[in-house]
Amino acid sequence: MSPMNKNKAISMTRLLPIVMVAVTLLLTATAQAAAPGITGPTFNLTAQASYISQPDGAMIYSWGYGCASAFTPTFNPPASKMPGAKCPLMQVPGPTLIVTEGQAVIVNLTNNLPAAAGNTSILFPGFQVTATGGVPGLLTGPIGDAAPGGTVSYSFTAGSPGTRAYYSGTQGDLQVEMGLYGAIIVLPATPPTCANANLVAESAHSETDYRLTANGAAFDHASSCYDREYLFQFSEMDPVIHTQAEQQVAAKASCPASPNTGCMDVVTEPYHPAYFMINGRSMPDDMDTNYAVEYPHQPYNGNPHMHPGELVLLRIIGQGRWQHPFHEHGNHVRILARDGNLILSQTDATKLAGPLLFTTTTTPGVAMDGIFYWTGKGLNWDVYGHNSASTDPLAKLPCTADANGYNTGDPTAPNYYEWCADHGKALEKAPFGDVNAGGPVTLPDANILTNGAWFGGSAYLGPNATTRAVGPTGTTPPSGTIANPPGSEAGFAFMWHSHNEREITTNNIFPGGMMMMMLVDSREFQINESF
Amino acid sequence: MRKVYQVCLPVLLVCLATVAANAQSFRVQCPSTTALHPGNPTDQGAIKCQQISGGDGYATMADGTQTYLFAFGPLSGLNDIAKGLPGTQLNSVFMTPYDPVAAPNSAASNGAVGLVPNPEAAHDPRCSKASPPSYCTTGFDGHVDPRQIMDVGVMNGNMPAPMMAIDEDDEFFLTLTNVGMIMRPDLFEQHTVHFHGYPNASAFYDGVPDASVAINIGGSFTYYYLAPDAGTYFWHCHITPPEHLQMGMVGQLYVRPRQNRLGSGAPLFAGLQAQQGDPRTSCPNSGPGTTGPATDILCSTPLPPSNTASRAATGLYAYNDGDGSTHYDVEYPIQIHGFDPNFHFVGMTFNPEGFADMKDKYFLLNGRSYPDTLNTTGYNDISLGAGNSDFVGQPRSSTAFYTQDADGVQRPSQPLPTVINIPAGGRALLRISDLDVSEYQTLASLGVPMQVIAINARLLRDQAGNNLYYNTNSITLAGGESIDVILDASVPKPDGTAYAKGEVYYLYTPNLDHLSNDAENFGGLMTEVHIN
Repeated sequence: MSPMNKNKAISMTRLLPIVMVAVTLLLTATAQAAAPGITGPTFNLTAQASYISQPDGAMIYSWGYGCASAFTPTFNPPASKMPGAKCPLMQVPGPTLIVTEGQAVIVNLTNNLPAAAGNTSILFPGFQVTATGGVPGLLTGPIGDAAPGGTVSYSFTAGSPGTRAYYSGTQGDLQVEMGLYGAIIVLPATPPTCANANLVAESAHSETDYRLTANGAAFDHASSCYDREYLFQFSEMDPVIHTQAEQQVAAKASCPASPNTGCMDVVTEPYHPAYFMINGRSMPDDMDTNYAVEYPHQPYNGNPHMHPGELVLLRIIGQGRWQHPFHEHGNHVRILARDGNLILSQTDATKLAGPLLFTTTTTPGVAMDGIFYWTGKGLNWDVYGHNSASTDPLAKLPCTADANGYNTGDPTAPNYYEWCADHGKALEKAPFGDVNAGGPVTLPDANILTNGAWFGGSAYLGPNATTRAVGPTGTTPPSGTIANPPGSEAGFAFMWHSHNEREITTNNIFPGGMMMMMLVDSREFQINESF
Repeated sequence: MRKVYQVCLPVLLVCLATVAANAQSFRVQCPSTTALHPGNPTDQGAIKCQQISGGDGYATMADGTQTYLFAFGPLSGLNDIAKGLPGTQLNSVFMTPYDPVAAPNSAASNGAVGLVPNPEAAHDPRCSKASPPSYCTTGFDGHVDPRQIMDVGVMNGNMPAPMMAIDEDDEFFLTLTNVGMIMRPDLFEQHTVHFHGYPNASAFYDGVPDASVAINIGGSFTYYYLAPDAGTYFWHCHITPPEHLQMGMVGQLYVRPRQNRLGSGAPLFAGLQAQQGDPRTSCPNSGPGTTGPATDILCSTPLPPSNTASRAATGLYAYNDGDGSTHYDVEYPIQIHGFDPNFHFVGMTFNPEGFADMKDKYFLLNGRSYPDTLNTTGYNDISLGAGNSDFVGQPRSSTAFYTQDADGVQRPSQPLPTVINIPAGGRALLRISDLDVSEYQTLASLGVPMQVIAINARLLRDQAGNNLYYNTNSITLAGGESIDVILDASVPKPDGTAYAKGEVYYLYTPNLDHLSNDAENFGGLMTEVHIN
């Protein structure tokens, strides 16, 4: 199979089939993310070829790291929390390696790439790596590359916590492009005690904790506590390179044994990518489930969900060779660390010094850890649409401000983490629904508006807020919203995407590429990251 | 797919016709009072309003090429925008009917286009009862005459889009009126406004069509926000972003800090301390995570070390710094953008657009390339004599570039020159944002150092209160980023001499291939800094 319609540019007016695919997938299962991977400290990996799928129907010949056939990894989150967890022989990105600070990590890499590819390797930037058993490599030392069919062993101490990239150190312009990259996450050895209120609410709603570490901190630092975590790896593909590579490995069955730098004749410049991926998938595939059977070689998704007030750890890596400005709608991100290096105040090491960003620009090889949250603080209207005059108890939930101004007294309350200063403030001047009146705006006739697929159906959040405000199907016509319907999830949706906007396309088709919808769900909606 | 739309268009028109019979689909909203601003002398901030059109238009590139835009245009504050100012207006000005021939600075030349008394007022039974609605006396309730909206709004797109400026504690009512794209009747495009970078944004008012509502042709929608924390934000349409942003639907937006409202000589540190009493802006005491007091990990302005700085008699502040370090004498919003002429041509000529091939060849500061960035001559219809009716309600005197549109009418297209005039011994704040959709761009300063004080609308200050400003001679931005830079002519040059009146410096891009206007090999992302 080869990329289809490569030369046929498709304008935005042709988006309908893609939207329908997205909708179908979302109706099948509401996917929610996490940062799944495999735990060490010993990993037996292989590098080999297969095909990855793209939402335009293309199957792209790629190379990826995977778990060696005799290696049975331990998954985190475990398969009991995340059914279907698997580590195939080849995947893009490679398996997320999860280790703990101070551990002696061993990564054994077997080169099962086609002979024409020559040697391969892994670089672990940020670690002091010792390689044994391999053949000479340019970046990996005298015995750091794996020859075709051979194995190399890398050992290093997981020095400091945080998120980092790993990727091929051999013919990187071709091998990284082909998919040989992944993430390594080091968990802190001496984490702080996190007094996190959200855990109480999570357990009150029988939610599973999907964090990689039970103590809930990303670093050995009190300001790194978090409630959920998501990993986003940005990369791009030029399909012409992949087509050439596929032809070359078929044409050249063997290469000189030494030095084996491969014998492929693939032109990697000028570079002209057409696929822009997050965790190896393009939108809408990235919003399908982790480990979905449709993507046997792209197990990880990008589909963050959260409740108001939850501190959400974002692990962001630039892979590939371009920069991508990742714009998080909804709020700023506090950068904790770059490449695992915590950024602290020069005068007070208990305080953070990383910037606050609404666009976390990814650069190849750079990893960032940051914390995001959304509470709706300061909108000057009650996002839950409370109405003190209502007869509906859900419309009259109390809001009792804690020391920080949020409603956290009752962990079972649907409006847990409501910003109490805006409680009861009306948005609409004269609404016809069961929400407070006397606010500043009049919403127009719904006939002059077009509803989005992720529109919850009204301006409001909460178990029955949309139903109270506009009716059970949301503001119609043309129909109730479908990906985030008023009758079930009805969250607040925010687009997280590359702001080099041409990268939110899949081989010239909009929408696609580096894009996802982040959902802030009302507290009673159970976020199940195992889907 | 086109056929589906050919079927849908008549259906849509029928729907719109039905709506028109039931309710007015064009309308503006700008209440005189709200719960937060009841009209008392003690009110903090004010009610501010603006109306914009979503449609199309043309702009003139520096090599003379007339370029087609999908664009927003001004439907309020036209006189201010013609002078290169923000179009944001107080309620009293916005709700004064627009009169294009009113004298410059008259409230009537900045009012909402289309505003007319609601004829229903005479028949509304509430008007003859006690406590009648205010419109019973004024007649103005946001009812607009669609003919005026269309007369002025069609093809009046600006590049960049109308500028917006508000102060902390303002309530901002932004009405987007979709007048349609006359040159592309096959695309009955919706438009939206995304307030890029707003903290704790509302999904409903975030402008993402997938996550909320989008505004059809023939409709008006009023976005509502309480001004967020001070900073340099920006705004753009979020419909098919690679297309609508490339085609020009990008604009500037900034929020000024409370600190500006302190009286001359008032201590700045105490001013910021007082803000810690407001739970919304408190740093040590508003963070989610625990039920006990928690530092807000996203807090915008932690207290600096205690200091004696006081409110300067003149000038303004970029942020609530509490130490005077963001003081400036003049400010210049500068938006970086890029146009791919091939994409714009294809966008005008009904052809399918390719995204992967996008390659910008015009590199723009505020919608213009060098040397147009220096042109402050503008256009003066009055000098052409009375009775020129070609201007269809546009201001008759303007510093804007005018471009002849496809209907033969000249309309303002690019209102903003980018000449940085710094008073000798003064400080200029550059509010730089980038909405390029295909690549990163660098802007360098020759001579005057750049002090970077904020990135992404947030002061560079650690949680312990230390300023992390840095000096540089270049900044690099992707689309979707903003940065605040101070050009400081109050600090002597390295040889000890002062920046003197008459000196000229340059802002330009060291991406040397961006110093071009398509085939012209000198131009692009460049402008001048004048010491006055």
